Amino acid sequence: MRSWKNHVRGELQQRDQTEKLPFIGVFTSLSQMEERFEFRKTCLDDVQSKSLDRGGREVGKDTRLLQLQLRESEHLAEKLSQTVSDLTTVLYLKEAELQYWQSRVSHFRQEALSLAKGSNAMKATLSEFEYTVECQSKELAALRTEQKGINQALEQACREKEELLQRWMEEKREEADRLNKYNAAQERWQRFAKQLKKHLHNARTKEFVPIVTSSWCGEAEMSTSVIQRINNTYRDTTMSKL
Amino acid sequence: MADDKDVLRDVWFGRIPTCFLLNQDEVTEREAEPYYLLLPRVSYLTLVTDKVKKHFHKVIRTDDAEEMWFEYEGTPLKWHYPIGVLFDLHASNTVLPWSITVHFKNFPERDLLHCPSHSVIEAHFMSSIKEADALKHKSQVVNDMQKKDHKQLWMGLQNDKFDQFWAMNRKLMEYPTEDGGFRFIPFRIYQTLSDRPFIQKQFRPVSPEGHVHTLGDLLKEVYPVALPTEGGPKRFQVVIHGIEPLLETPLQWLSEHLSHPDSFLHICVIPVPSD
Repeated sequence: MRSWKNHVRGELQQRDQTEKLPFIGVFTSLSQMEERFEFRKTCLDDVQSKSLDRGGREVGKDTRLLQLQLRESEHLAEKLSQTVSDLTTVLYLKEAELQYWQSRVSHFRQEALSLAKGSNAMKATLSEFEYTVECQSKELAALRTEQKGINQALEQACREKEELLQRWMEEKREEADRLNKYNAAQERWQRFAKQLKKHLHNARTKEFVPIVTSSWCGEAEMSTSVIQRINNTYRDTTMSKL
Repeated sequence: MADDKDVLRDVWFGRIPTCFLLNQDEVTEREAEPYYLLLPRVSYLTLVTDKVKKHFHKVIRTDDAEEMWFEYEGTPLKWHYPIGVLFDLHASNTVLPWSITVHFKNFPERDLLHCPSHSVIEAHFMSSIKEADALKHKSQVVNDMQKKDHKQLWMGLQNDKFDQFWAMNRKLMEYPTEDGGFRFIPFRIYQTLSDRPFIQKQFRPVSPEGHVHTLGDLLKEVYPVALPTEGGPKRFQVVIHGIEPLLETPLQWLSEHLSHPDSFLHICVIPVPSD
């Protein structure tokens, strides 16, 4: 039991040990004696006055004593009757209390029953949820396995993509090199053509003078055949590369 | 609903041995003998002292007899406080029996209420019960009771009938299980070192977070001076029905079991005796 409750119980008993129990005996006795004394005094006065009333002739001592005892018995009977009445009231109260507690027990039984029903329903729901959880966890495990496979495939695809990209880059690099070479050759060719045109122009300019003299005819023809040869050489080279 | 019936019985049947002495200034026809009486802690002085009045009326002149009132060591005793509260507050460290002086003259109008008959006590008692039920159940329980039920409560107290009283009072102590207690705890804190009659505030038995409030929580909130300081000496005693409950005692349980018949938890805060 909880200590604070025991403490209250103990303290109440201790309080009564100090305040109530040492005094209750003597106080109750005093009260009873006082009550008895008061009653007897009243009775005695009454009996004495009545005994004197009866024609001035005093009744005997025994008769007075008997009357006193009779009064006292009547008083005791009254008190007993009061006690019986009190006890009957207490009995009724106890019966009512018993009924009250029975109704409380019945109420709590009903409450317990409804709680038990609720508990059963909750247990059923719980087991349903547990089953669902189990299914879902199985599904989750399967999905995880699937996801693992997909991830592996993804990794493979990524690797392949990387490789392809590398290859494509390599190829592009080579293509660029080829283009660069072609451009360089083209450039060289254009430079050379330019030089040749320049030579041709110079040659023609010089040829104009021999026509006038007619002694450098053969030299001019020779120059034209050289240009044609170069042109042919370049075309052959380019075609072979392509 | 209150259980622990032994506690309820111990509370109800708490008694204080008392010796009533007539004030020396009263004019008497002959010397007045003291009157001894076991006073119920949960009752009211003027409700249980008819015999005292009768006893002293035998010796004083009828012309001099005004309304009877009581005093202890110069302090007029308020009849509308339960006897146990008066004892714990003013005389808890006195030698027993408790000596109360009886007066029939010079009624202290500024300190005491008049009590011409038992019906005044009944009115005060019923008003306290209604006030407490307003705090506990928004007056629903006491309003649902019939007049005879109210009478049963009063007669139970007047005739010192525990079963009769509790047959009805248990209804005032019920509460819905899901609430965990009353709406508010009806309590009053009395202090000796103050002119203020008592402290009364609204205090719930359970915190909004669902924690059960204890006697310590109540004092911390309402009257922190009463609590012992950490490491320091104990300065005050927190007394209910002549005992010091532990500060961890749940307030709801205290209200159900240690309340007076007026449904209030009367808490006395008194200085620790120096000797």
